[in-house]
Amino acid sequence: MTVSVQLHPELRKWVEERLSRYPTRRSLLVPTLIQAQKYHDYASPGLMQAVADLLQMPASEVMSVASFYTLIAKHPVGKHIIQVCHNVSCYLRGCDEVIARLEERLGCKVGETTEDGKFTLITVECLAACGSAPVMMVDEKLYENVRPDQIGRILAEAN
Amino acid sequence: MTELTKVVMRLDGVAEAHRLDVYEANGGYKALRKVLGEMKPQEVIDEVKASGLRGKGGAGFPAGLKWSFVPQDHPGPKYLACNADEGEPGTFKDRWIIENNPHQMIEGCIICAYAVGLSHIYVYCRGEFYEGKRKIEQAAKEAYEKGYLGDNILGSGFSTHLTVHTGAGSYECGEETALLTSLEGGRGHPKIKPPFPASEGAWRKPTVINNVETLATVPAVISQGARWHAGMGTEKSKGIKMVCVSGHVERPGIYEVEFGVPISAIINDLAGGVWQGRQIKGYFPGGSSTPVLPAEKVDVPYDYESIAEAGSMLGSGALIVFDSETDIVRMAEVITRFYAWESCGKCTPCREGTRWMLQIYERILNGGGRMEDLELLLSICDNLEFKSFCPFGDAAVSVVRSTVSLYRDEYEEYIREHKVYRRRFTPVKH
Ligand SMILES: Cc1cc2nc3c(=O)[nH]c(=O)nc-3n(C[C@H](O)[C@H](O)[C@H](O)COP(=O)(O)O)c2cc1C
Ligand code: SF4
Ligand code: FES
Repeated sequence: MTVSVQLHPELRKWVEERLSRYPTRRSLLVPTLIQAQKYHDYASPGLMQAVADLLQMPASEVMSVASFYTLIAKHPVGKHIIQVCHNVSCYLRGCDEVIARLEERLGCKVGETTEDGKFTLITVECLAACGSAPVMMVDEKLYENVRPDQIGRILAEAN
Repeated sequence: MTELTKVVMRLDGVAEAHRLDVYEANGGYKALRKVLGEMKPQEVIDEVKASGLRGKGGAGFPAGLKWSFVPQDHPGPKYLACNADEGEPGTFKDRWIIENNPHQMIEGCIICAYAVGLSHIYVYCRGEFYEGKRKIEQAAKEAYEKGYLGDNILGSGFSTHLTVHTGAGSYECGEETALLTSLEGGRGHPKIKPPFPASEGAWRKPTVINNVETLATVPAVISQGARWHAGMGTEKSKGIKMVCVSGHVERPGIYEVEFGVPISAIINDLAGGVWQGRQIKGYFPGGSSTPVLPAEKVDVPYDYESIAEAGSMLGSGALIVFDSETDIVRMAEVITRFYAWESCGKCTPCREGTRWMLQIYERILNGGGRMEDLELLLSICDNLEFKSFCPFGDAAVSVVRSTVSLYRDEYEEYIREHKVYRRRFTPVKH
């Protein structure tokens, strides 16, 4: 059995404030797992056990749901997450060069985390910003019309 | 010269339009005051029906008709799910509305809730829309404070509430019934229809699901009248549409136009034509889920019927243009990977078929394709289309079938010459 971790009190409060807005507790599962990543490193088995207890549902179901969604990290990730779009409009406007430059500057491949633990690089599907393709996000910040020669500056900004 | 007809985008360029005071100073919430003060719920539904407003999320279903399917006398709660999951590749209009004019969407939601008698509005917002979620939450807070949301709205006796619900990175959750499963706290799997959401939706209660742009059009329909709206566009595609133009054009962006303008006019007059002086090779009229149309069909009028007649779909309004230099096989692989990785996995034809198609694309691009692969691709398409549980499966075959038939020579060249596509990176599913 997984030992559940202590949920951050702010997270508990966040959930409790929202329970009355839904007919069932488990409706808050996905938002809770997303919010949890502000306070906990990632959706570890212990964290999922604690969320299951809070929402009064089986931990196995929490894990099943968590495994479906890409924004819920099931493994430890870097301090900053870089999401770079590799879908069609970004492809047509040169995202492949941007991604190649990101790999080069970070010294890690798509799907990996830099050795110093600062960045995790992932490719994502259309970010609904195709009018300014190619685009990428560093944490919550969107960068538009990205050129490979801007990568250095963008990474420095996040540091 | 093709003119823009700004309705949903009427506050484009107005500074701070996302703020309640700015929105009100520009006529905001007048439509809500009008329906609460002067109109019975049924009259609102009739007005929206008469306007000819069709859903802007992809299917183009008449909005008023959808609203009328919800049983009036149903005891207990009924819901509105505002679909702000915007995931169709090439589409970026809902994000614009949410970030620039969230009150217009919220006003539309409240009018819909009043017309249909819905007690709670859930705005299902894409997880990646961090800024958008903050904007809607702030706008909802302002609307609550001003008495536009909550109990006894503006003293009318009508009450409804609004909650912003976050998605977590799944294209399939934009499909209306998968959205409901996700809202209920499950994996984003669609539900069987019937029962349709209008009679049994979220938490098995009657639920209306509409796209952000659809709902953001409603205040204008109420303020300016059904006849005004119905007077725009074509006979069957009435009104206006925000067209998202992306890909190889000089000025990608969102252009709101009346239905019926020629697609070439949108591309050339509004989006500045194909970039770098090149020629257009083809385009997706309605996002990656819609079959590609060739350059010869660029004068098709922009409306549901004409685009269907030309062999594709208007979809969510994402016009993706590609030029004569485009590597069609690689482009089709990019999109096929998207469908393979976003397939929710509930049904076999789609779960397996999309992955097989992706493997064949990889084989061709790695120089190991065989001529039979083209027939194999088409036969997988036949086994997916109309045999999948939800429309995702049909969407996944569009690019494959249309590009194999329109640009077969390019596939054959890859295969015959064992041409290898030089990858700049290897995508990883996560
Ligand atoms: C795979 C798939 C993804 C979809 N994604 C979206 C989406 O992101 N946003 C949206 O509004 N509709 C999306 N739809 C369409 C919805 O199922 C639904 O038709 C729509 O939200 C209804 O609203 P409307 O009538 O106002 O267009 C999607 C459909 C499918 C099959
Ligand atoms: S077609 Fe089947 S596997 Fe594909 S998304 Fe729909 S239900 Fe899921
Ligand atoms: S394809 Fe990259 S943002 Fe849409």
